[in-house]
Amino acid sequence: MKKILLASLMAAFAGHALAADLLDTVKQRGTLKIAVEGTYPPFTFKDAQQNLTGFDVEVATEVAKRLKVKPEFTTGEWSGLLAGLQAGKFDVVVNQVGITDKRKETFDFSQPYTFSSAQLIVRKNESRVFKSLDDLKGKKVGVGQGSNYADMVKAVNGIEVKVYPSAPENLQDLASGRIDAALNDSLLIPFAIKQAKLPLKAGHPVGDVTTMGIPFAKNNPKFKQAVDKALNDMKADGSFKKISVKWFGIDVSKAPTAAK
Amino acid sequence: MEWADLISAALPVMLKGALYTLMFAVVAMVLGLLLGFVVALLRVGKVPVLSQLVAFYVSAMRGTPLLVQIFVIYYGLPGIGIELDPVPAGIIALTLNVAAYLSESLRGGIAGVDRGQWDAGLSLGFSWWQTMRYIVAPQALRLSVPSLSNSLISLIKDTSLVSVITVTELMLATKEVIAQTFQPLPLYLGAAALYWMMSASFERLQKRVERKLEMAHQR
Repeated sequence: MKKILLASLMAAFAGHALAADLLDTVKQRGTLKIAVEGTYPPFTFKDAQQNLTGFDVEVATEVAKRLKVKPEFTTGEWSGLLAGLQAGKFDVVVNQVGITDKRKETFDFSQPYTFSSAQLIVRKNESRVFKSLDDLKGKKVGVGQGSNYADMVKAVNGIEVKVYPSAPENLQDLASGRIDAALNDSLLIPFAIKQAKLPLKAGHPVGDVTTMGIPFAKNNPKFKQAVDKALNDMKADGSFKKISVKWFGIDVSKAPTAAK
Repeated sequence: MEWADLISAALPVMLKGALYTLMFAVVAMVLGLLLGFVVALLRVGKVPVLSQLVAFYVSAMRGTPLLVQIFVIYYGLPGIGIELDPVPAGIIALTLNVAAYLSESLRGGIAGVDRGQWDAGLSLGFSWWQTMRYIVAPQALRLSVPSLSNSLISLIKDTSLVSVITVTELMLATKEVIAQTFQPLPLYLGAAALYWMMSASFERLQKRVERKLEMAHQR
């Protein structure tokens, strides 16, 4: 998934390059500074005991372990994460950051580690069938602020786009009938519908497959190589699959499947 | 999720967030009052160059959103080599912002003191500073208290904006519990109640200060 906010502000701060490769900096420091939202279940969120958990948290922890450094997590709002990465506040953002051309102008990405697709969510008793975004012309669709889902629906003429701070508000409004459908990550949907206990169901997947990667500052070839190797090793020895199956019941590093 | 479960999951987290909120508010209040007073004095005293400079500062702070100021201070300053942690960055942003408003309230209070009070002080042989210190400032403070409190109560709520720089104050703490429970309405209401409680206790403080300053004016 995800989001471009305050892009112009960020662009103004761009362009201070680090002299040493990020890998050397990280190794020397002994920690990998990882930023996550902490409010994006099941990817990054706090459990009932207030421990940071989720799919991305476990993936990031495993990557740090393979770089032989300690993970150091920071939580913050999405709108600040990429700006913070750009300002050098953290080394990586591991929060289902969609690999987009626009973001690639500013950051380098690891190899993709999650395949997913955008999928509609509708009310349980919905009788209309929305097979694509075109079917939603003249209807109201809810999306997350700064997400690539927001960009997707805005690209279709005639959809009334409602922008929400995050999924819980979006789904609540869907349940209460203020919007006709919500658009989000297919991987989020089963978890969200279960947790929210709202009368909702998964709709049709729409749009292309999206790939998620780990973004970091440009021009760090050694760091990229090390992170990619860590991800490859995790996939090879089954530890990635284990994490993935734990959270989604499927291996998300492979072909996308839509949530039912 | 049952109400009892929801509260027991949310309350400890939100109270911790509220403590952060309170810390931000109180520190920024104290520093903001100090800075605001200096700014007001520089402007009232028409100190050359400095008074123009602080007038520019007040205009810039009042004319731009606090959210943008927080963003620039935290994410922007590293670009010119100033690296701040989230907490100091948040405090600096809130202080600079509230001080601009407070300085205007104080300036209004000082302007509200009758010109004759100045004449009286100066004719008694007081210096400008002595007149300000012993005659004008105490009266100005009494006039300014309601509008000072306005800014300070706004400040309590404005702390919610520091959540964009990774500080888990009340608002972000609330969002974390929402992400876990998907129950936005009761939790936002809970956050509102906590903000209100903090503001209300500040209002009581305001009343006490008002009463105290009023005593000198009883006949």
